[in-house]
Amino acid sequence: MSVGVKEKAAGWEPLIVAFCCNWCSYAGGDLAGTSRLTYPSNVKVIRVPCSGRMNPMFVLRAFQRGADGVIVAGCHPGDCHYSTGNYSARRRLSAFKRLVEFAGFEPERFEVRWISSSEGDKFAEEMTGITERIKALGPNGKMRDARWQKKA
Amino acid sequence: MAEKSLKEAEKIREIVGQDLLGGRIGLLLGWEKGHYWWQSRPLFAKNEADLEKLTWDSFCVINLSRYLLEELKEHGKVGVLVKGCDARAFNRLLQDNMVARDRVVLYGLPCPGMLDYGRLNEEAGGALISISESNGSVTLKTGTGEKSVERDQVLMKKCAECVYPDPVVYDQLLLSPQGKKEGVERFKSVEDLEELTPDERFAYWEGELSRCLRCYACRQVCPFCSCRECFVEQDNPRWQGRAYQPGENFMFHLVRAYHGTGRCIDCGECERACPVDIPLQELNRKLIKDINQLYGDYEAGVDAEADPPLLTYRPDDPAAFSEK
Repeated sequence: MSVGVKEKAAGWEPLIVAFCCNWCSYAGGDLAGTSRLTYPSNVKVIRVPCSGRMNPMFVLRAFQRGADGVIVAGCHPGDCHYSTGNYSARRRLSAFKRLVEFAGFEPERFEVRWISSSEGDKFAEEMTGITERIKALGPNGKMRDARWQKKA
Repeated sequence: MAEKSLKEAEKIREIVGQDLLGGRIGLLLGWEKGHYWWQSRPLFAKNEADLEKLTWDSFCVINLSRYLLEELKEHGKVGVLVKGCDARAFNRLLQDNMVARDRVVLYGLPCPGMLDYGRLNEEAGGALISISESNGSVTLKTGTGEKSVERDQVLMKKCAECVYPDPVVYDQLLLSPQGKKEGVERFKSVEDLEELTPDERFAYWEGELSRCLRCYACRQVCPFCSCRECFVEQDNPRWQGRAYQPGENFMFHLVRAYHGTGRCIDCGECERACPVDIPLQELNRKLIKDINQLYGDYEAGVDAEADPPLLTYRPDDPAAFSEK
């Protein structure tokens, strides 16, 4: 059996990395916070200037260093702060998503969502959603670096 | 060697000789016989003596366009012999602004497909001494006798699956065209892999990629890998770890293939150069297949003027993730 397939241990909690665009999704997360909406603490948010800034190697590196799921959140197409960043991201990340699935990752492990700065509720909903889907799927061992240790 | 290819080599030598010796080009990139009869290696011809070594046979598989990156630094004008795949590779480099069109003279050679030494040996079933070709069949001479096989049976895999045997860009066409091949099944192995479950697919790739030596030969021959600094050699941030880890193998191969999205010309040089036979073209073709399906048909390298799919967008593009 492949080393990439892992059993779910008791008390296991997934680690989700969310790359959020500075102008929409990160502000959406802020709004979720100020509106007192809750979403799971499994999600670790990393702010990027734009979803077009996403280097696919960010995603692969996250998988190597402990992520069980990765979500990229950006402005809705047409609303990009830089006009066209998310149009490019849509093409790039679509191709990339198909490629990581082809390499053997489950489709749920890597997702892309459009969340605007006024959609605090959608932010909380999407983060809860991906956490639940990854919880059901179990831990990810694919591409995991053997030297990586979870911090206590 | 077949008489036909000797005649063709003579004709090529005559035409390029006029340009090289007449001073129109400073260097000619071609092929010469290597250490073994089943290898033709690149020839860097500068004078008449070099030109004598020029070969055109069924083993001239090496893509010469890639050598332009180095040679244009030293020579004002360079002539290159281009097969179908080399011509598309040239277009690729042209689109990346890595070469200047006016400093290169392209001599087009419609390509009948190159022969695979491994397959020849398999067919011969013994120590192969030499081959001869005539009219679509190949005669294999071994120590114990002779055997004749169809040429199509002993083609390199990448040549059997080639769609554009004729150069798509050239200044002068030296031989008669082969015509575009129809009905080539390129995506069969990709589709077979798509049928598997994610875990099975992962196990497959883990097995295949575990052989990777990280020699980067696939990158070195590749016409789309023309960056002056490659991510695998960057130290800060160090994207590509040196450790022998499955994750590091995936990192290299996924990113290498991904960098070819909409840019890979599907020439198969990576797979040919791979010393451990990793099916690299399956990764490249997966991306070709998907990008065509999502954003319309696009053949990289065929038209240097057309926008590669990742360099453009439409507001109403579809997305591969569940949300549009």
